[in-house]
Amino acid sequence: MHEITQTGNTKSPAYYIWISSLIAIIVLAGYALVMSFLIDMEIFEFSLKIIWAMAVSNYVFFVVSSTGLCMVSSLGHVFGMKRYELIGKRGVFLAIITIIFGMTSIGLHLGHPERAMIYNVLTPNIRSAIWWMGTLYTFYIVFIMIEFWFLTRAELAEIASNSTGIKQKVYNLLTLEKLLEKVGFIPSVEKDHKLAQIVGALALISGLSAHNTLGGVFGQTEARAYWYGAYYPAYFLLSAGFCGYAWVVGATIITYKIKGEEISRKLRDLIFEMAKIFALLLSVGLLFTTYKLTSGLFDPVKAKSIMLLIKGPFSFPFYLFEVAIGTVLPIFILLYSTRKENIAGVLTASIMVLVGVFVMRYDFVVVAQVYPLFNPMGKDALEIIPSFFPTLMEIFVIAGIIAGCLLVYTLGVKYLPLKEESH
Amino acid sequence: MTKNKGITRRQFLGGLAVTSASLTLGSTGLVEAETKRYAKLHDSTKCIGCKRCMSACKRWNKLKIDRAEELTDRETDLTGNTWVVVNLTRDVNNREVLYYLHWACQHCGEPACRGACPVKAISKLPEGPVVIDEKKCIGCRYCYQSCPYKIPRFDLEKRITRKCTMCFNRIESHIDPACVAACPVIALEFGLKDEILKKARERTEAIGGYLLGEYEAGGTDFLTILPAKPEELGLVIAPKKVVNEDLDKIRISGYGFLTAAVITGLMYIYSRTDKGE
Repeated sequence: MHEITQTGNTKSPAYYIWISSLIAIIVLAGYALVMSFLIDMEIFEFSLKIIWAMAVSNYVFFVVSSTGLCMVSSLGHVFGMKRYELIGKRGVFLAIITIIFGMTSIGLHLGHPERAMIYNVLTPNIRSAIWWMGTLYTFYIVFIMIEFWFLTRAELAEIASNSTGIKQKVYNLLTLEKLLEKVGFIPSVEKDHKLAQIVGALALISGLSAHNTLGGVFGQTEARAYWYGAYYPAYFLLSAGFCGYAWVVGATIITYKIKGEEISRKLRDLIFEMAKIFALLLSVGLLFTTYKLTSGLFDPVKAKSIMLLIKGPFSFPFYLFEVAIGTVLPIFILLYSTRKENIAGVLTASIMVLVGVFVMRYDFVVVAQVYPLFNPMGKDALEIIPSFFPTLMEIFVIAGIIAGCLLVYTLGVKYLPLKEESH
Repeated sequence: MTKNKGITRRQFLGGLAVTSASLTLGSTGLVEAETKRYAKLHDSTKCIGCKRCMSACKRWNKLKIDRAEELTDRETDLTGNTWVVVNLTRDVNNREVLYYLHWACQHCGEPACRGACPVKAISKLPEGPVVIDEKKCIGCRYCYQSCPYKIPRFDLEKRITRKCTMCFNRIESHIDPACVAACPVIALEFGLKDEILKKARERTEAIGGYLLGEYEAGGTDFLTILPAKPEELGLVIAPKKVVNEDLDKIRISGYGFLTAAVITGLMYIYSRTDKGE
């Protein structure tokens, strides 16, 4: 299993081009951030009227993905489904990096992230959904990291024993051998498995609760008719399901394809099984979207925002990305590819869903803010705001965060035991 | 019916509570607390649109000049550095009817922003003002999203949300807020809430207008007399109830937890398909 560090095309020029282009994007994002600190945040925000924009939507995208990945991977380690253990480690690793880059995204959006950490503890406001979200996600991050450690500890120790020099020292450090010796804890594979199940269950519970309060951040704001109600907490939990499947299926297939390795029969069967459930969840999601549109049209205040999607500046991204690329086409592609046993089809569908969901989150965050409840100007918001497209600087920063996530995943595949059969 | 009596049921009960409390405690502390609630009143039918209130606000609170203000009489919007705006507003049904609207934080009795702030940076002072602690604000802008009037605005330079404080630092020294003190036509008034509310009701009745803030968002400490009903003026206003009540938040979270429970149940049922392996 430790040959993962040598196998594949990781030494090829394409690999170095990939890594350096990711680093280039991150540098560009760094430039945008430094400028926003030197000048002011105005260059980062595309409009004073829409103050929750791409950073928030990107945060929602990553965090929903993380919860979904936690859900999918817990089918194996928590619910004891043997076949799902194949994707367990990759799922949990992706859940960790998506939550961390999601938190980076919201951290960059906050005016004073350093104060958030201090006052979240010193003066908590339990009436605030954001406080609950921040606190529960902190627990979630801790639990999911411990879960990943239990899942990989034995293999990290094995890599350490088979290597020399600095590499051995680093891997030994990761296994926390010395610390455990001091505490008097003797690790074993059985213990790891048992503890991973317990911590995994805690991660799932805290993840689902945190995700519910993320939906609550939007659902509880009575002043924004488009967000308000019990719909979004429920829909966020559902969309976490299909986002989790999209990530895990997409990442597994793409990693095998790029490394030029053969997908085993067992994993292949699992991928097609996951593809079927993925299609089912997308269909339920489509029903949810239909419900949102039809029920929203009966509410006079909500209807104005809904009409922006149906017949307004957001109709193009809505029909193309949210409906076509994000939901309807992938359902057909998934059903067709599972019947024909076509791996490439499943991969295409999962990438399409991720792109569709990314655009959908942006629409979801921005649409609700177009109409204020009270408009003392007597002017239409659409007249005041020329365009709803994000600024270049904003795109740089978000692209940097996505590139960072991909870079960490690439390095994780190279240095950590994520391989399916190795469990 | 309550109007004729000149006292509402709530005021009556409140008065009863205060009287009995002061009788039992033998102190005037509670009475003072009750009577020291202040309110600001704007009469849009009197306003001449001179915008002295805007510049007085800027001077007192040391706010920066925004780019949009460099052109005079241009329609302005609230920002992190403009806490008060005065705009020429038109009746949408009768375009010939024009009036100036002085627009700022409404200082709700039960502010939605206070419940939304994750770090308790927003508080409602007993005198009435709703204020943001600028040293505590983390800049998440959730107060802006939860405010039915989109009042707290983000200051891109200071990276916090800022808004009208009803000049609480002046109230402490028994001086009227800067905007009220600057008004040349007494379109703005300031005083004890009970007196202001009484005066506002009388004036509204006399001109056949509408008193904004009496019931909106659960009753606010900034009242505005409009020339006609808001619907007739084409304004969409906050509902006549407290916005973002705690029970409502719990209700919505409850549905979310129900969904989470259903999902976990489905995952369990699905996991049972693995038994044969």
